[in-house]
Amino acid sequence: MKKIVSMLCAFLGLFMIGFTVQPSSTAQASEKTYVIDTDVTFPPFVYANEDNKYVGIDMDLIRAIAKEEGFKIKIRPVGFNAAVQSVSSGQADGVIAGMSITDERKAKFDFSDPYYSSGIVMGVKPNGDFKSLKDLKGKKVAVKTGTSGADYANSIKDKYGFKVVTFDDSDNMYNDVKNGNSAGCFEDSAVLAYGVKTGLGLKIATKSTNIGDYGFAVKKGHNKELMKMFNEGLAKLKKNGEYDKIIERYTGEKATHAKKEKAANSHTIIGLLKENGGVIVSGLFETIKLTVISIICATLFGILIGFLGVVPNKIAQGVSGAVIYIFRGLPLIVLALFIYNGIPSLTGSKIPAFVAGVITLMLNEGAYIAAFVKGGIEAVDSGQMEAARSLGLPFGKAMRKVVLPQGIKIMIPSFINQFIITLKDTSILSVIGLLELTQTGKIIIARNLEGFRVWTIVAVIYLVLITVLTLLSKWVERRIKD
Amino acid sequence: MAELKVNVTNLVKNYGSNHVLKGIDFKVANNEVVVLIGPSGSGKSTLLRCLNKLEEPTSGTIVIDGQDISDPKTDIDKARENIGMVFQHFNLFNNLSVSKNITLAPVELGKMSEEEAEKQARNLLETVGLEDKFDAMPASLSGGQKQRVAIARALAMKPDIMLFDEPTSALDPEMVGDVLNVMKKLAKEGMTMVVVTHEMGFAKEVADRVVFMADGNVVEEGTPEEVFDHPQNERTKSFLEKVINV
Repeated sequence: MKKIVSMLCAFLGLFMIGFTVQPSSTAQASEKTYVIDTDVTFPPFVYANEDNKYVGIDMDLIRAIAKEEGFKIKIRPVGFNAAVQSVSSGQADGVIAGMSITDERKAKFDFSDPYYSSGIVMGVKPNGDFKSLKDLKGKKVAVKTGTSGADYANSIKDKYGFKVVTFDDSDNMYNDVKNGNSAGCFEDSAVLAYGVKTGLGLKIATKSTNIGDYGFAVKKGHNKELMKMFNEGLAKLKKNGEYDKIIERYTGEKATHAKKEKAANSHTIIGLLKENGGVIVSGLFETIKLTVISIICATLFGILIGFLGVVPNKIAQGVSGAVIYIFRGLPLIVLALFIYNGIPSLTGSKIPAFVAGVITLMLNEGAYIAAFVKGGIEAVDSGQMEAARSLGLPFGKAMRKVVLPQGIKIMIPSFINQFIITLKDTSILSVIGLLELTQTGKIIIARNLEGFRVWTIVAVIYLVLITVLTLLSKWVERRIKD
Repeated sequence: MAELKVNVTNLVKNYGSNHVLKGIDFKVANNEVVVLIGPSGSGKSTLLRCLNKLEEPTSGTIVIDGQDISDPKTDIDKARENIGMVFQHFNLFNNLSVSKNITLAPVELGKMSEEEAEKQARNLLETVGLEDKFDAMPASLSGGQKQRVAIARALAMKPDIMLFDEPTSALDPEMVGDVLNVMKKLAKEGMTMVVVTHEMGFAKEVADRVVFMADGNVVEEGTPEEVFDHPQNERTKSFLEKVINV
């Protein structure tokens, strides 16, 4: 009995170590390539174009600088929050995502020379009666988390007496204004101007308030060489006129006109599917991959922890109870961010987002599985175990031959339920920048602002996936019950 | 030593502050049939369950067949192979057929091959009068049938002592006779048996010795005639009056 328990514990330990140690070895292989994180829902600074290449002022700048200075970069479209956190935890080398240089941020980051001067403007409905900021008294104003627009809104909200509503991406923020929940939104002038020209359906209602500059950032005290190269490269581009060309490319009349015509073709679901079929399919496969691997890991982990909870050993039961308590108690999103950003800060080794995502789901879904595995076994009448033991069968054999087959029947519906939840929960992992179905949807919407149609497509795909998963589970259930 | 099948000395069992067994001395000779009687809560089932360590004794020694099973170093699984047990609620393995219920332990513990175990199962089912239930599932059996299968299952390990924990208490009255008949047959064949029961008729007819327990102590013991017809202790007398007059 003790042997089984210690073996299980050892296995669990190895499992965890295996996940945390593995990624550190890959860090050295890519020394010359810098990992640059960004938020591709921020046109015209960063966005995915019709061919789903990452373009925009920031992208063209960093690429031109890398070419000029002779270093390689790897762009990861992880979203603004994840990008900032990845850099501060050392998961990425730098962040370029229309990031304003602020004193608060300077405490954690080293910034490059400014590459763009930004201003904040307010967007409102074109047919509204907004005249000045004083009209905002008692109303709501939408902003996007962590942006300068949000900081600006918060700095003047008491003066003008409005409430600030925070959104995670631009599309939701704009929609809140369009459907009248919020009186307006504060956003970077270049961003909003770009949106207005490409048919966003809002107008700019205030003059630009200059609030500072955009800079490229690295973790404070780290990547000094990269920072030096960026500043030198930026200076060269400004000198040789390349910089002005890039700015003109994305804010000039020509650029936005061409964009507007093309965008008109993609206002139907069929058109959207044609245009984005490739990325949607790859997002779908990422979701499936994530779901299948996570379900397998979570099931093994959950069964292991569930068993530890029923073996006649106080330590094992304590471990099981603690694991269930902690990982069932933590919100999935907190766990994901903690594992992806927190663990590297503690251990100093990077974790690929996919591995972090799988570990997150394994721990969270696994804790739920452990709880019902334990419950399922305990639901089997204790007389069954007593009778088996009274015949001389050891605990393990009695469990395997008598108790477990009865417990599994009790557990099956919970398993199916948990698998479906796991599939849906993969969408939460978009916070650590995994390019799964939901994140893919966000990126497409950031470009074309077709929120309703794109989310319809995404929702239907999820329903189809869940139907397939349910049918598959029911089939397995029938096979087991017979 | 060898003629004593069971030798319990100063057995104490506490559940927290609840003293269930208060220092019991209890012996069973080879081939002897001992019936434990007494009011509920007197500790008779606990004593019985200590004999194969389904209950962990608080203190005292339990020697079965010369082996001290209260010693933590004793391989209790090995010891249990020779101690059959029949439960009040049958506890047939619900996921297995009648035949698999009977063959599981002998096959899993390497006592015999599957064919041998099945042959034995047929013989045992014949002994308990259920040869036609070989492939049945437990859920399809009546209580009396279940208990007879449970007896067959215990016998399949060829134990040299059988413990019965209120084997007829959960049965409909018309089923009780079948089960008692099987037990009588076993007794006649010389099986050493310890039986906790409220069937006084069975005790009178089959028991070599009757032990009356109350409040965690053995109050009185003797042949059925001595205990039933000439009880010495007041507690015994009042218990028997209540039970027999019903």
